Amino acid sequence: MTFASNLTLSASTRNSWAEALRMPAIVALSFVVVATIIAWSVAPQLFTTYSPVIGVPADKLLGPSTAHWFGTDHLGRDLYARVVYGTASSVSSALVAVVIGVLAGGFIGLLAGFLGGWVDVVLARLVDVLLSIPKFLLAVIVVTAIGFETINAAIATGVSAVAIFARVTRAEVIKTRQATFVEAAFLSGGSRWYILWRHVLPNASRSVLPLAVLQFGESILVIASLAFLGYGDPPPASDWGLLISIGKDYLKWPWLVYAPAFITILTVLSVNRISRWLRKTD
Amino acid sequence: MASQDRLTDTLIRAITIAPAPQPAAPLLRVDNLSVSYGRQDVVHDVGFELGRGKSLALIGESGSGKSTIARAVLRLLPNGARASGAVQFNEQNLLALPERRFRPLRGRQIGFVPQDPGNALNPVRTIGVQAMEAAALTDEPSVAIRRALILDTFAKVGLDNPQRAYDSYPHQLSGGMLQRVLIGLAVLPRPALLVADEPTSALDVTIQKRILDLLSRLQHDLNISLLLITHDLAIAAERTDTLVVLKNGVVQEAGKTSAVFSSPSSAYARKLHADVPALNPDRYARLRETGLRLHRTEEAPKIEVSAVTKKFTVDGKVLTAVNDISFAVAPGTTHALVGESGSGKTTTIRLLLGLEEPDSGEISVAGEQVSGRSRESLRAVWRHLQLVYQNPFTSLDPTWTVEHLVREPLDRFKIGTSKERAEQVRQAIANVGLDEHLLTRKPGALSGGQRQRVAIARSLVLKPDVIVLDEPTSALDVSVQADIVEVLLSLQARLGLTYVFVSHDLALVRQLAHTVSVMQRGSIVEHGTVADIFGNPQHPYTASLLASIPGGIADPVRMTHPKPRQVFRKEQIA
Amino acid sequence: MSNAYLTYAAKRLGQAVVVILLAYVFTFVVVSILPGDPITSVLRNPQNGFSEEEIAEIIAAQGLDKPVIIQLWNSLTGFLTGDLGMSMRSNRPVSTLISEVLPSTLILASVGLAVALILAIVVAYGTRFLPKRYGQGLLRGFPSLFLSVPNFVIGLVLIHLFGFQLGIFRVINPDSFWATLFAAIALGIPISAQIAEVLIANLDKEAEQEYAAVARSRGLGQARLFAKHLLKPASLPVVTVIALTIGELLGGSLITETVFGRTGIGSLVQRSVSTQDLPVLQAIVSLGAVIFVLVNLVADLLYPLLDPRVKILGGQKRRPTTADEPSIGSTKAVTS
Repeated sequence: MTFASNLTLSASTRNSWAEALRMPAIVALSFVVVATIIAWSVAPQLFTTYSPVIGVPADKLLGPSTAHWFGTDHLGRDLYARVVYGTASSVSSALVAVVIGVLAGGFIGLLAGFLGGWVDVVLARLVDVLLSIPKFLLAVIVVTAIGFETINAAIATGVSAVAIFARVTRAEVIKTRQATFVEAAFLSGGSRWYILWRHVLPNASRSVLPLAVLQFGESILVIASLAFLGYGDPPPASDWGLLISIGKDYLKWPWLVYAPAFITILTVLSVNRISRWLRKTD
Repeated sequence: MASQDRLTDTLIRAITIAPAPQPAAPLLRVDNLSVSYGRQDVVHDVGFELGRGKSLALIGESGSGKSTIARAVLRLLPNGARASGAVQFNEQNLLALPERRFRPLRGRQIGFVPQDPGNALNPVRTIGVQAMEAAALTDEPSVAIRRALILDTFAKVGLDNPQRAYDSYPHQLSGGMLQRVLIGLAVLPRPALLVADEPTSALDVTIQKRILDLLSRLQHDLNISLLLITHDLAIAAERTDTLVVLKNGVVQEAGKTSAVFSSPSSAYARKLHADVPALNPDRYARLRETGLRLHRTEEAPKIEVSAVTKKFTVDGKVLTAVNDISFAVAPGTTHALVGESGSGKTTTIRLLLGLEEPDSGEISVAGEQVSGRSRESLRAVWRHLQLVYQNPFTSLDPTWTVEHLVREPLDRFKIGTSKERAEQVRQAIANVGLDEHLLTRKPGALSGGQRQRVAIARSLVLKPDVIVLDEPTSALDVSVQADIVEVLLSLQARLGLTYVFVSHDLALVRQLAHTVSVMQRGSIVEHGTVADIFGNPQHPYTASLLASIPGGIADPVRMTHPKPRQVFRKEQIA
Repeated sequence: MSNAYLTYAAKRLGQAVVVILLAYVFTFVVVSILPGDPITSVLRNPQNGFSEEEIAEIIAAQGLDKPVIIQLWNSLTGFLTGDLGMSMRSNRPVSTLISEVLPSTLILASVGLAVALILAIVVAYGTRFLPKRYGQGLLRGFPSLFLSVPNFVIGLVLIHLFGFQLGIFRVINPDSFWATLFAAIALGIPISAQIAEVLIANLDKEAEQEYAAVARSRGLGQARLFAKHLLKPASLPVVTVIALTIGELLGGSLITETVFGRTGIGSLVQRSVSTQDLPVLQAIVSLGAVIFVLVNLVADLLYPLLDPRVKILGGQKRRPTTADEPSIGSTKAVTS
């Protein structure tokens, strides 16, 4: 859903709609992948008839086949079904992380960049502090402090992304604030807040959008890493990172690692490709 | 001692003209050259000839393909460009040569002087290191002699302190000095052909003239053929033997400079000639006088600037940007502020608009004091005082539509009902000669000229008394410039507007202004009516500015017979 | 060493100290004020089998009965004097725990960084020399692919292929040469992708600059153009990028150590997280911040000495050219 609305954002006139639709094949493919992933997370039952939780012990550790696309795990559960059912929490938690990062970081960056002066100095130091703590360690201590759950892992990931968004938004706001057209708007009688709202914000946010999409892919990776270390929901949840973590104990049956890893990589690759395309078409 | 002799030898070889036997074939012959980027054709079937020691100008506006032709000759086309046809150099088709056989010609036979000297040298290596690359092309084995050769060349191109230039990084030299370095490096290996791509368009006017003089002189003394790429017809006419006029990649007209210049046969060349301010000082004289006759009242001046000084502190040093300047502008007239970069003209208009506070002195516009006001009360001044920026590519918010942009001042000053506003927007758009269907476009979908018209419409819509025009046409092509100037002057004639026109282009100022102030290093060195200043300049700086207006008449330097061991005039460094 | 440079260096040093102190306070706030009371919940967890007296003893020893602000003050002054406190689980000084495992992690991280640099250089410089037809696309695809792969997956793939299938190393002996090397490769690949991305973008940008065309017009071939002109300006900004990846290196070694079963800071973090040993976590996170800030300080102080364009004015680093604003394209590498 998000991606459809992102697209309309960048294409608000009919003219650019036509241009927006003219995209390279690889980008179109990326959109197809992302659409599939979204469909999996919204209605997983439409894509598989197997249960992600209850397995058939007799069918344990089967290799990929037409019956079990990704094979089965040590409890005889269909791995494809587990991946599909695990999508919702893997993807929506990444979304939560991005929203936290964009809102908190964007707000800090906007204030720092537009108000300048001591507000900027204080906020810029705060952002420096956040940046100085290695991101993954920061996510780990936040999730430790608030408890091991996927949603908390998402919050932790979001907190660790705040600094980046704050920094980029601040830089964009400062750049836009110094643009000639902003001074022109002053001369046309615009007030400070009017100009912030109508000129600075729309222009600054144009480059935050591709970054948000990029961060979405990054968040999927970080949340998967947290799940891999066991800081997300416990089994029988089937977050992608958790699936890989379980699979690592059965390396004799490598599809248990490779199948969920492949889906994770494919999703992040597609998201990154879309981000790059957004940046170029701007 | 031996090396000393070799040095002298090499220097003599480098300086004296070795009158090579002149083969009948021209040095450079371009036949049916076409260049395309993907599906887009930028150069179509172009052909011309350049003889040894001769000069030829490719002239055209942006998009004419002139630079692409130069790059095709130099084989520096970007990836993805396809060239067909032939570029015959010394009867070899350069386009067909494999890279391995073309490379020995680079620098040695074909030299290149680029457009923007600021980007043409590697920023993280010293000039000396890069000069050595050029000196290596002379086949002189001794590094010491190569170095001496470089320093000698630097002295010849008018660099005061060759050793300092040699040791410097590019950002430590001014644009004019860098262009001298680049010209020096290009001529050092004594190429047969020099390709100069707009060699002066990034430089101030007085420096432009010196650089062009240098090029002409070197071309003559070293018997180099010059392929000059320029947008400026007057410069081309002054400096070359042959003209090739291009538009959209197609040759419009070609021939001997004197013929093409004095009696152009193609419609495009005629229009180009008519649009160059330097060649048509009286083009707008009637329009200008009409405005004056209709509106001039003997009222108080619209603008009064008296004894204004403004200093800035930059890195602990105090810089006087504007030093005790005074001028007044009568209603309905155009006052021009003329000067080169760093002359303080931009600071002056920022003071005028209240965007900067003067340290001392007073400024009033339409009887209202500008200086010493709060931002809030400045709005009342801006209601009657508007600004058109230099660069229409940055002065319009790219996320807004044209209609919204033009309506913004009305919305902000809450003028009229929304229906009246829509009407006023349409009127302003029509006034600047834009079609209504552009109202829904965003700036990104407009050409430079259209954008500048939008910017003018935006400043007009409030019906101000005074419009400050900050080099409004310097980012535009001459033909577009002529259209914009026409719009501005007819608006002035109709509405009785008062203009403050900032420019570095004296020829343009002569066409449209009534009174002029000439600024140099923050001070007004001379002011008066256009007729006085241009007819009888008093200050030497004004005189040198006037002298640098290209007149389209061949430079006397090129007519004199060259001496065999010409020692170049060492000029003051730009 | 101009005066301006010394002023700049002093200013940057002061900033670094302030950031380190604030980072310490920030971590303290996160671990002690956020919802839940992990300390007492761990101590009172029957599994841990502390008696009430022991609990009281630990609370008194850690100063947990005092107001938070006093705790912070004690903790901060301890940090400044090099006293990182006592572990809550093992009753040993935190500094001892850390110094036991630090060497192993430092070896992993430095080999990982070396792998990352070598790989990034081979890939990025390779794009300049491989013709379009043969594999240039492959090299250009490298950064975007490996920025999309979780680094534990790289580790698992390496273990599966080289450990299980080819038998080059054995997982039960994680400190052997080969096991260390492959762990370092797993750690280094995602980081090399970030560095390579920036390097490739810089090289492409420099190659399009006018000065490159002018240099070619002086008869320089591809190889000399690359070596004499493109290499330096394209590689200089990477100094800063490498410094920024230090955080990634520390976070990544946490996961890599888990995957390869190594003992190190990562495994210590894992253990401390599962036992909620907050003093240890606090110390490790602060140590991470100290390393990150110091490495970046060095990079910032080094950069003006390497790049002649950078001028130090009024205690600030400035660059006369405007072209070098990091684009969004490189944000990941520049900011993470």
